[in-house]
Amino acid sequence: MSEHAVSLRAPLITGDKSIAQVTDDVCAPMEGRPTALWWGAFIVAFAVMLLGVAAVSYQIATGIGTWGVNRTVGWAFDITNFVFWIGIGHAGTLISAILFLLRQRWRTSVNRAAEAMTIFAVICAAIFPLIHMGRPWFAYWVLPLPNTRGSLWVNFRSPLLWDVFAIGTYFTISVVFWYVGLLPDLATVRDRIKEGARRRIFAFFSLGWNGSYRTWHHYEAVYLLLAALGTALVVSVHSIVSMDFATSLVPGWHTTIFPPYFVAGAIFSGMAMVLTLMIIARKTMRLENYITIRHVEIMAKLVLTTGSIVGLAYATEFFIAAYSNNPYEQFVFINRAFGPFAWAYWIMVSCNVIAPQLFWFKRVRTNLAAVFVLSLFVNVGMWFERFVLIVTSLHRDYLPSSWADYAPTSVELATLAGSFGLFFTCFLLFCRFLPVIAISEVKAVVAHDRRTFGGGR
Amino acid sequence: MGTPAGAGDRMDPVMPKHDEKHYWKSLEERDGAIDPAALPEFLAVPSGADWRTTRRGFLVAAGFGLAGTALSSCSRAPVERAIPFLLQPEAVTPGRASFYASTCAGCSAGCGLIVKSRDGRPIKLEGNPDHPVSRGGLCAVGQASILGLYDSQRLDAPTREGRRTSWDEADRAILSSLAEIRQQRRPVRFLTSTITSPTTRATIDAFLASFADARHVTYDSLSASAVLDAHERTHGARLLPRYRFDRAEVIVGVDADFLGTWISPVEYTAGYRSGRTLGDALARMSFHAQIESRMSLTGAKADLRVVLAPAQYGLLMAHLADRVARLAGANSPFELLAAPPVAPALVDTLAERLWHAREKSLVVCGSNEVGLQVLCNAINHTLGAYGGTIDLDRPSFQQQGSDRQIEELLGDLSKGSVAALLVAGVNPVYELPGGEALAQHLKKVPLVISFSSHLDETSSLARFVCPDRHYLESWADAEPVAGALCVTQPVIGPIGGTRQLIESLAAWSGAPKPAYELLRESWMTRVYPRRLADQPFEAFWDRAVHDGFVEVAANAPAGRTFAAAAASVPAAAPAAAGTLALVLYPKVAMLDGRGALNPWLHELPDPITKTTWDNYACLSPAAASALHVAEGDIVRIEVGGGSGPSSAIELPACLQPGQHDGVVAVALGYGRMGTERFAKVGPRWLEARPTVGDDGRVGKNAAPLASLSDGALRYSGAPVRVVKTGRRRDLAVTQSHHYIAVPAHLAPAGGARRPIVQETTLPAYVKDPAAGSHGHHEAKEDLWPSDHSYPGRRWKMVIDLTACTGCSACVIACQVENNVPVVGRDEVRRHREMHWMRIDRYYADRADGGVDVIQQPMLCQHCENASCETVCPVLATVHSEEGLNQQVYNRCVGTRYCANNCPYKVRRFNWFDYPREDRLQHLVLNPDVVVRSRGVMEKCSMCVQRIQDAKVEAKRQGLPLSDGAVQTACQQSCPAKAITFGDANDPESRVARLLKDPRHFRVLEELNVKPSVGYLTLIRNRAEGEGGGATGHE
Repeated sequence: MSEHAVSLRAPLITGDKSIAQVTDDVCAPMEGRPTALWWGAFIVAFAVMLLGVAAVSYQIATGIGTWGVNRTVGWAFDITNFVFWIGIGHAGTLISAILFLLRQRWRTSVNRAAEAMTIFAVICAAIFPLIHMGRPWFAYWVLPLPNTRGSLWVNFRSPLLWDVFAIGTYFTISVVFWYVGLLPDLATVRDRIKEGARRRIFAFFSLGWNGSYRTWHHYEAVYLLLAALGTALVVSVHSIVSMDFATSLVPGWHTTIFPPYFVAGAIFSGMAMVLTLMIIARKTMRLENYITIRHVEIMAKLVLTTGSIVGLAYATEFFIAAYSNNPYEQFVFINRAFGPFAWAYWIMVSCNVIAPQLFWFKRVRTNLAAVFVLSLFVNVGMWFERFVLIVTSLHRDYLPSSWADYAPTSVELATLAGSFGLFFTCFLLFCRFLPVIAISEVKAVVAHDRRTFGGGR
Repeated sequence: MGTPAGAGDRMDPVMPKHDEKHYWKSLEERDGAIDPAALPEFLAVPSGADWRTTRRGFLVAAGFGLAGTALSSCSRAPVERAIPFLLQPEAVTPGRASFYASTCAGCSAGCGLIVKSRDGRPIKLEGNPDHPVSRGGLCAVGQASILGLYDSQRLDAPTREGRRTSWDEADRAILSSLAEIRQQRRPVRFLTSTITSPTTRATIDAFLASFADARHVTYDSLSASAVLDAHERTHGARLLPRYRFDRAEVIVGVDADFLGTWISPVEYTAGYRSGRTLGDALARMSFHAQIESRMSLTGAKADLRVVLAPAQYGLLMAHLADRVARLAGANSPFELLAAPPVAPALVDTLAERLWHAREKSLVVCGSNEVGLQVLCNAINHTLGAYGGTIDLDRPSFQQQGSDRQIEELLGDLSKGSVAALLVAGVNPVYELPGGEALAQHLKKVPLVISFSSHLDETSSLARFVCPDRHYLESWADAEPVAGALCVTQPVIGPIGGTRQLIESLAAWSGAPKPAYELLRESWMTRVYPRRLADQPFEAFWDRAVHDGFVEVAANAPAGRTFAAAAASVPAAAPAAAGTLALVLYPKVAMLDGRGALNPWLHELPDPITKTTWDNYACLSPAAASALHVAEGDIVRIEVGGGSGPSSAIELPACLQPGQHDGVVAVALGYGRMGTERFAKVGPRWLEARPTVGDDGRVGKNAAPLASLSDGALRYSGAPVRVVKTGRRRDLAVTQSHHYIAVPAHLAPAGGARRPIVQETTLPAYVKDPAAGSHGHHEAKEDLWPSDHSYPGRRWKMVIDLTACTGCSACVIACQVENNVPVVGRDEVRRHREMHWMRIDRYYADRADGGVDVIQQPMLCQHCENASCETVCPVLATVHSEEGLNQQVYNRCVGTRYCANNCPYKVRRFNWFDYPREDRLQHLVLNPDVVVRSRGVMEKCSMCVQRIQDAKVEAKRQGLPLSDGAVQTACQQSCPAKAITFGDANDPESRVARLLKDPRHFRVLEELNVKPSVGYLTLIRNRAEGEGGGATGHE
């Protein structure tokens, strides 16, 4: 690429950073003492996490009855939270894998944080299928382990089993992908530390990275392969999660549209969560030059796109229900919009369909405060989407005699809060101990030295 | 102890014969070293009362214990071994059930029982199919009465002034008091509920005979005294006729809940059902009209239901009598009548239908007004019902109470003239209006002896409580209907140091004898002479004990002829403005409060309101909206006039469709002393709410609102004011949406009413037996091959909705059989009741403003394409090759996906470790059924343990499994025989025939889950397209 081409394309990293400055800027939060802001945030997040730990311990010691679920509404907050967190966990892999394959170079500023977010979100998600079991101490029975309990085996027809495999695979690949991407940066950090235990730890985890041509060659091959693997998973995980509902018999769940609808929704919520976190991070960690308005704008466009797909999916569900002439299906959707949980439904529609439409306006997309607020709306809306989907479908199904209502208990609310506490605790620790921006990748897109050496590509 | 003879095909068919030869079982026995009769028949449960520990004994035990502990701790792990009997009791095989015939004492109806006993402890009560009164059914109260046996709060020793004492001391003290009274010739009163036992009655008479002024006073808290009084007027004998619903083709019920709570519901349900049998050659369908003010179980079943205020029953009955008399060509008993309270055409229709079916028609009236009952007798006489549908030659003894007698006794007590009052089987302080005054009067009686098994409102005031045994520990008899003598035999050694009433009385009469001997002697002198066939007494007795009953000649006053009594129209006082008429009613299962200590009965949803663990003020929706009251709002019900503190109660409101707008209905039997124990029921956790109310009891006692005057206990008609208090109490309801249709504002076009129940009318059915069908979804070619081939048996069930009354006996039967836990009020409120079998009750508003009711038993449908089976990740629910959907509790991890995916919502989850009350209560558990732990799913198993048992038995005998050899618990108990279960692969089985019935349908058939449980269309005997109901005019 010639020099003038570089000047025509707006730089991804502003501030005319040199390569050394990039390293210094990204490593700064790790090397200084934590700020009061970090401590404050960490203490709050940790306290909320402990609240969740207390709630879950109490629930496991006492029984699922400490939740508001009942004979009709067998799942509520538990699976809502599960699907919500799994959805959040989609942005990371999407940014790392799909955008990598699509050569979207803006991804370099956000991919590390997004991947970390993915892993923490999947951890949060994975807790719920475990604790929602009546006997979580037997959770390992869902694994097809050879055993001495006679010919007991798992049921390969059950979508819950597919979930186990899908989430397990996704988590494994996400962790490996994230770790492999971290290797050059771990080596950079290692090299900046003089002596001591920290250096030895980073030296161990950087797997003897020496920056040689061979190292980089292997690294890039592995990264590309993992990206290709991850791409399939972005689509598969949420498709399979959606089959928990789609393969069932419950009106409102039994819908073929679910896999694409869930994937779009997951990317939608994941992007919103990335936006929420990045807007805070760039401010508090002084990374404005790395995560620029341009990044925010691109992600806002993605939110708009996926939000519109989700809106279309909502409309399609209603259309198919009406078109199907299935009275049970029709009733579920009318009941969703106008029944006892109409408030949840309209929160969902306002947050997920109406709010993101503001991103059509460039002034909104480039206004950080507006984007931040809208991203929060989307997070709330997507939580309610899963709540509406699960609770309104279950609470009034086939036999009116069994219709029931549902209200969460304090234990459920504490568990939900605790999952956020866990997520933010992990994320704050990540910000403190690992480079939040992929140093090596960003260095490839800084504009600084291009003029001097005819850089770029 | 006598001969433990059994019933049913499992018992030794060889009857013990009376023989001179002496057979011995061991040399010791022959030589007289041991006395076989002295060996205990049943394992005694140690009461702990007579243990003595000496110093030496203590040291020996302590030393042995120390050495034993030291030695046993040397082994690596404790080894538990089941130790067999050292001396194997005869006829007891560990792990095999024995069955004994007996008689239920849950109420005075006297239904036949077969007691299932495992390892010396009774675990289940079943109806005796051969029994002449109950014919095989057993109601919820009877089913649940077994829990009373294992009640740790039963008194286990006599008390004196509230302190435990021994029988010897109690007897000495009582005898000296009685001797004093006898000497001073002071009045003695013996107060009981109806006693159908000839032996007990004779023992009481013998006891009282030694006193100069002694009287046996009988009253029934759910009084039918007016029926007896009316017959005294019209037929010259104070007796209760036996109503033969089986012979009736037209039935008109006036405020008589004969299918639910009135006199003998199991007997009446069996008769009613046999008059409504469709299909095959036997097509009979009686016509049933019910006139009532509240929605009763019986009214819900009626073909024609007329809603009328209680004050208007008299006028309607008078019109009916008038019309029937005219049709008979007789003179109308009335000169001038006010306009009927319903459309005159309706009265004409009823009268014509009754007259058309004369001699096969029946009018029953549940009112306790003698005037109304006299009218009822007059109508029945005109119709020729006496001798047909009403049997006076073999009358019923199920209700003998006299309101006049109890009123007199209360008067005597208030005067303080009674020297000794003995109370058995009743709790007058609780049950009678003015109970508080009675409590004061009782303190004036020098000697009050109660035979109550618990400390209740009355027995806690008694000087002596001499606790009677539970009937399953007793030798007794009963004659519920003249000529049907029933035997009650003990099936377990007494738990605790109780003594039977007749033993106590015999001891105080100076001739102490065990109950067994008293009973045999009584039978020798009173029953044996009435035998129908000539046979030796031993054989007669053994046969009676074996069968549980024997039919003998009726020993009743011969049926008198009708003597017209002056019939008058009971005056209907116009309701004062702003007041409602109070209707106090016995609730199914709770009755007058005799079930109030039984958690099963408290948790049994009322068949109509579906509410548990409370009584409440039923208001019609219109009345509620006029009072601005919503469901759950607490209202105060004040009896008009001078209202004392006891004549107002506060209850949550319950909106009851189909109730008269001018009526507030309240269930009796709540707020009893002793219900404080239920504070412990249910799980305890952060947000748990107590089962008991603010006053520590379950519900409120409504009996103080009744009145006892002019020789009648009146439950209905009193004008009351209903005031909203502004507080709320959410009712624990198992069914919160009451219509089969979805709410109108949410209904999709044309999809408001769900095709869950098929119903039609009799004329339509006669024209087309498949009438009412929603169209069968013909089996289309499946994409997938069938998973199941069912090479052997294929269990299926068919439930006849025309027969089912919704009485809920099956719900309790299932609970007992399958160890279903009680979860408490808060859990029910949270929709977590555990019943495997439930009865869905739906209302339908009719064009004429009336309400139709549908009862649909719902249990696991054991689908062939079961949606629960595919979704379980760990294969904890699987399909058997006989078509059962099996839940494997040990494998279940509790994802609840199966319950979500069940379209019938019949799966039940163990949200907590639901505790049983105490360890004594564990004895009622069925050892064949696993007790489920926390975190696992459970549901109906189609009584797989019974299927296995029957299969093993058939194999042992080398016979094929016959149709009907397997009876599920729900099927066995059903008084209406609405449930049929069997092998659909056997084309000759009853279930296979019913599967081909044009009425057969499956619920949610269109889902293609292929349920194994089917239903038969509900047929109502009313004209095609006719509304058929009416609402009374004000």
